[in-house]
Order: sequence, then C-alpha cells, then structure tokens
Amino acid sequence: MKPAFTVENLNFKYPTAKEDTIKGISFEVFEGEIFGLLGPSGAGKSTIQKILIKLLEGYRGTIKYFGRDLNSLDNSYYEEIGVGFEVPVHFSKLTALENMKFFSGFYKSRANIQELMERVGLWEYRDVKVAEFSKGMKVRLNFVRAMLNSPRVLFLDEVTNGLDPNNAKIIKDMIAEFRAKGGTVFLTTHLMNDVEQLCDRIAFCVNGRLVETSTPRDLKLKYGKREVKVEYRDNGNLKSALFPLDGIGFNEEFQTLLKFGKIETIHSGETSMEEIFIIVTGVELK
Amino acid sequence: MRGLVKLTAGELKRLARYKILAASLATSILWIILFLFISKSEAAEIAPHLIIIDVTAMSVLLIGASHHLEKQEGTLKTIIVTPLSLGQILTAKTLSSIALSIQSVAVTCAALYFIHKITFNYILLLFFILIAGASHAAIAFLLSIRSRDFTTMLALYAGYMFVFTIPSFLFNFGIIQAKFEWLLMLSPTHSSSRLIISAVSGEYDYTLVTIGALYLILLTAALFRLVVYPIFKDNAARG
Repeated sequence: MKPAFTVENLNFKYPTAKEDTIKGISFEVFEGEIFGLLGPSGAGKSTIQKILIKLLEGYRGTIKYFGRDLNSLDNSYYEEIGVGFEVPVHFSKLTALENMKFFSGFYKSRANIQELMERVGLWEYRDVKVAEFSKGMKVRLNFVRAMLNSPRVLFLDEVTNGLDPNNAKIIKDMIAEFRAKGGTVFLTTHLMNDVEQLCDRIAFCVNGRLVETSTPRDLKLKYGKREVKVEYRDNGNLKSALFPLDGIGFNEEFQTLLKFGKIETIHSGETSMEEIFIIVTGVELK
Repeated sequence: MRGLVKLTAGELKRLARYKILAASLATSILWIILFLFISKSEAAEIAPHLIIIDVTAMSVLLIGASHHLEKQEGTLKTIIVTPLSLGQILTAKTLSSIALSIQSVAVTCAALYFIHKITFNYILLLFFILIAGASHAAIAFLLSIRSRDFTTMLALYAGYMFVFTIPSFLFNFGIIQAKFEWLLMLSPTHSSSRLIISAVSGEYDYTLVTIGALYLILLTAALFRLVVYPIFKDNAARG
C-alpha cells in the first residue's frame, strides 16, 4: 500500500496560543485504509484534521499527499477529498436536496445524490427544510455532503455521533464499502464501537502528541491480560476462576472444569478499546 | 467563472429564503410611503440620504448578519472545502450584497419617478453604487471577522459610525463646515456619500468625485487583499 498522507514532525501553534497545539507528530495514512485518530477533547485531533484539509495553514513540518507537498496543492485538492464535519453544516432554510445540489454543483466529479440520500434514508425527506431535521438526520446529511464528489479520501469527524444503531450501521457499512473500493478514510472519533468495527489502524493523540499508533488487534494484545476467565455454577452458586493463557492446554484444573463443570461463560482477558483508551490517554471516556 | 456564478446565484437564493430580500423591500416600501407625504423638493433633498443608507449601512448589516449566521450554521467551512477559491467566495458575497442594494435603490428610484417625476443619471448612480457597495462590503467583512458574534459586530459598527458616518451626516446637514470636507473624504461613508449625492443631484465637484472614487477603489482593494483575505479562512475554520 502506498501512503496517502505522510506527516513528518508536524507542529502547529494557533496565533493566540502560548504553546504549540500540535507537537512534532509523525504518521502515515495508507491508501485504502481506515485510519482512526482518537483522543480526549482538546488533544489536537480536530486541529490535525483541519491542517490535513487545508483549513489551517502555517504549520511546521512536512505533509505529503500521495507524494506531493500539501502546501503546493491548489483548490483542486478539494476535488479529491470529502469532508464530514462533526457539527451539521447546512443552510437551515434550504431543503436537504437544495443543499446537496448547491454543494454538488462546485465539483467536476459528482456522485448520484438520489442514491446517496436513499441509502441513508433521507430521499423521502429531500424537500423538507434542514431546519426541520432531527440531529440524526442532519448527521446523515453531513455524510452525504462528504460523499458528493465521489472523493478519493474521506475525512470524517464523529461520523455516527447522535445516530441510532440502525442508521449508524448503514453509515458504517457505506464507509466499509468506500474502503473496499480503494478509498482512504481519516476518521476522528471518541466512539470506540466505530473504532473497533471500522479502523484498520488507530493513533491516540494526547496533548498534541501521538502516544500510540497500531492496529486495534495489536493494541488489544498489548494491553490485554493473557488469561481466561471462566464462570460456572457450583451447587447452584455462580463462581468464577482465572487461568493463565500460556500453557492453558496443560492446565489440569482448567481441563477438569471444562470436562465436568457447569460452565456459563468463558472470556479471554482481551481488553476493550474503552480500557485501552483510558490506559493510553489517561482520560476517562464520557 | 461557473463556480462564481453558481455561488452568487446561491447567495441570492438564500437572501430570498432567509427573508432578507423581503426585509429590504419592506424598508423600500417605507421610503415609498414617506415620498407620498412630502413635496418634490423635499423628496429630492432626502432621496440621496436614503440611498446612502441602503448602500452603506444596509450592506454592512447584511454581510455581518449573513457571515455570523453562516458561521453558526457551519456552512462557511463546508464551502471553503470545495474547489472554489477564497476570492470567488468573497466576490460572490460582495456581489449579492451589491445586488440587494441595487434592488432597493431601484425601488426608491421608481417611487421617486412615479410619485414626483424625479429622475437622475442612473448609469452613473449604478457605477457609484458598485464602488460604494464594494468598499462597504470590505468594511463589513473586516468588522465581521473581528467580532465574536453579530452583537459584537453591531457594537463595532456603532463605533465605526461614530467615527466615520455621523460626521458625514453632520456635514451633509450643514453642521460641519465645507472647508473640512477634504478631511472627511477619508471616511469611506463620506466618500460614498459624495459620489451618490453627486449622481442624484447632478452637481459635480469633479476633483472630489474623482478622488472619492479612486480612494474607495484603492481602499476596497487594500482591505480585501491585506486584511480580509489573509484571515477570512482561519476565521471561518474556527466557526
């Protein structure tokens, strides 16, 4: 896989800030992968995304987009990327379809608006003013907005925040399909479900620095406990026992429990993404 | 060019949808009612001042309101991440603001003609409206990006009016002596006022009109190029 973005020693300071918000971070996002950027509020995730979509300028360090310096790219860069902001970004007095047609008109490559809106369940509300939309409908329309130009790279910020599980699944399926067709996704989120279900690799951003970059699986292995927890009934009472994962096939107590115990659950000591988030960032998820 | 046309058309459509066009027309209707109750000479006297208000104050308020509303709705950010250039975005907003002024002035002119048979050099007035409207659009953008919300923007504009607009009105009503007009020409509102009054009254001080027009054109270019353009994107990104 070739890198879509290569970020080296990125530093950024807001004009009124006393110190750098982004402090010398480096990472790569490969073409065709879903890269998740995680971190607590104020860690610098949105700033990194704003720099990558060229909303913020004046950074130090180098950013390459498919080998080309990001600073050297003109506005045609926006023909290739789709941006889904965290907050709804629509003209409230225009209908959903009017909004989509307006934004779509500025691109050379245009996706089928009807198909996209049908997929997210908004086509039947196309003539309703966005002001009358619920939060979830606005979030879905945000996603359609990001996909309007059939982008090569998608930037998504809290893409399923505020969606019910059914609509969240539809959006996640669409993101996975986008990736399957070769698209690259840069996902910023605090929803660990999204991370587990979507991301190929994730990076944790804390206080302007990337403290951990890996795959969800490797992180689970790294931070997980190598043990197995068994819950079983003994004379009607619920009991549990922990066994070390290493050499478990030769563990007689475990083997006996498997053969003769009334087992209710067996869990490996795999850590959840929430726990990893707390361990890595030192911040509880809200 | 196609992007600019689409963007401007979109701006105009939103002026209608957000009832700004209707509010502007309602103001013009107030002027029409006023003209019905005053004499021809009084109408001729007051007309340029109403046009000045439409082209200067209304432009500033429209752009300020629209800027802060769009920041609140997040639409500025999402327009910036399209292939449109910042120049196109600012031009479209300026053009739509000027279009609104022209619409309002056109209604005023029509009322003056049908009620009092007053006519003026419309082509020259249009030219001066373009210059005055563009300069006040630049001022409006400057005030908008320097303010946190529309209320702060109004406070800034009140300060601007105290320094630049009120002295111009005092001059026009004869309270400030004519010898100070050269100094007053530094006020964008007074320079605009000088151009518009000249076109409506048909009485030209060619030196002042030429200097006023050149000053406004240079001021507009300088404000857009050196002040608005460099920080507009950053300001929109924070919205």
